[in-house]
Amino acid sequence: MNLRFIGTFIWYYGIRSIKRGPSYIISSILYPLVFLFLITIFSAGRYLDYAVIGGFISIVAMNAIYSGSDMAFQRLQLRTQDLFVATSIGPADYMLGMGLSYLATSLPGILVYAIIGAYLGLFGLANALLFTLLLIAVLLGTMAISFTIFGFIKHVRNIWGIAGIASILLTVLPPTFYPYTLLPKALLYAFMLSPITEVSMLSQGVFGLAPAAYYAIPVLIIEIAIYSGIGIKLMRWREK
Amino acid sequence: MLKYWCMISIKNLKKRYDDGNFAIRGISADFDKRLTTVIGRNGAGKTTMMRILSTQLLQSSGTVEIDGLDNVKDAKEIRKRIVSIPQEASPIGYLTPMEHLKMYLCARGMSLKDAGIEASKALRELELWHARDTPSDMLSGGMKRKIFVAMALAANADTIFLDEPTTGLDPLSRIEVWSAIKRLRGNIVLTTHYMEEAAELSEAVVMVESGKIIATGTIKSLLSKFKGMARAEITSSSAKAKYTIGNTKIEYIKLKEAESYVKNGYAIKPITLDDLFIMRGVNIES
Repeated sequence: MNLRFIGTFIWYYGIRSIKRGPSYIISSILYPLVFLFLITIFSAGRYLDYAVIGGFISIVAMNAIYSGSDMAFQRLQLRTQDLFVATSIGPADYMLGMGLSYLATSLPGILVYAIIGAYLGLFGLANALLFTLLLIAVLLGTMAISFTIFGFIKHVRNIWGIAGIASILLTVLPPTFYPYTLLPKALLYAFMLSPITEVSMLSQGVFGLAPAAYYAIPVLIIEIAIYSGIGIKLMRWREK
Repeated sequence: MLKYWCMISIKNLKKRYDDGNFAIRGISADFDKRLTTVIGRNGAGKTTMMRILSTQLLQSSGTVEIDGLDNVKDAKEIRKRIVSIPQEASPIGYLTPMEHLKMYLCARGMSLKDAGIEASKALRELELWHARDTPSDMLSGGMKRKIFVAMALAANADTIFLDEPTTGLDPLSRIEVWSAIKRLRGNIVLTTHYMEEAAELSEAVVMVESGKIIATGTIKSLLSKFKGMARAEITSSSAKAKYTIGNTKIEYIKLKEAESYVKNGYAIKPITLDDLFIMRGVNIES
């Protein structure tokens, strides 16, 4: 693993872009904030905690989805992936560099939510630590599933459309912003094809908003491993 | 110490895509000059060949050796020794030339400090220093392409693959990129469909059409068979000629015949590499 490349990529591609492309940062913060507002209004504040926890997950997951779409854009349009293939880095370095760069762009949004969560008194040391681990898991899991989805894309035109569809289906539809216990079992299991669902279930357990769903842990780990494997394979690092 | 003139040896290379079409139909060649140009029309198989040579694409059959290393088995080792600049590669809009170079050099295993030193040297050498901190979105087309040439220069690689480095550039930007390419060290394989680019830059030429090599040699040797000849050209639907491209009729004539052709309305032009393609029936509609 080329940590030097990953670090440099995160610094230039992720952190520097915060200053140079602030509109993207604002849009990625606004999206869950609008949900927070709507959910608070419609539930008369009952689901406010869910919306805050869901906001964190949604920001990280959405940026991980966009990292996959950006990778497809770099492969198909900018051709920068071809440039990196003929170097000493491998597909996992590139994937991590790209995904973590987008995590860097999520930082302002995470900060906004951390302030809201602290104001609502949601965090203690233990649940904050566990939640951080879950956010890392959602980053890895969503990155993996995103790289899998975008590995199939062959035309630039489809990238942004698919990114929009994926971000709605993966971050809004699962129980990110509402209690997972509201879902019929069959639907919940179907949604569990996405690691975001497991992370949402576990997070709601961590904050005492819903019963702890321990069975989601192995499912999450297996999904991250499987989707990462498929994602790396589909990156077309060396095409056949 | 850099090794110049490392040998690229290609034997019976074939590439067949999943749709059944052959992009390369059995190419064998040795690239042993400092700058070899692969010329061919769009779709001739140049990019496929470059991607195979630079370990980005696997061939269907045949072998490629770069300095004795096999492109399939020894891909990792080859990647340390080569630079490959893809066709129509674009810099990332909000990153500066300096940032591009540092990121690329770190991917090649350099420390950030060394990357900064090498990047500075290359940017100065290619006259990009004044634009080192300008987001690449704000640079001209020629300067954007020069960022990639600067990457190749800073990497100090043994072998550099440049796939159509000047496609889409205006004449001045092309001259700017040519001058940057001339400063590269190591041996270079370059593809183009501009004959004058091959003439300007290369020592050896490989002409490719429909996935096959149709001619190889130095430009001088390839043009030597046309000594004392010229191209007579007329745009007319009624004139008869051996070669027809659209409405343009072409004859290859001896120079002493030129006067009589001029009287009949033909334009007389010197022979260039284009004529090799025309004589081999390429580009001819009927």
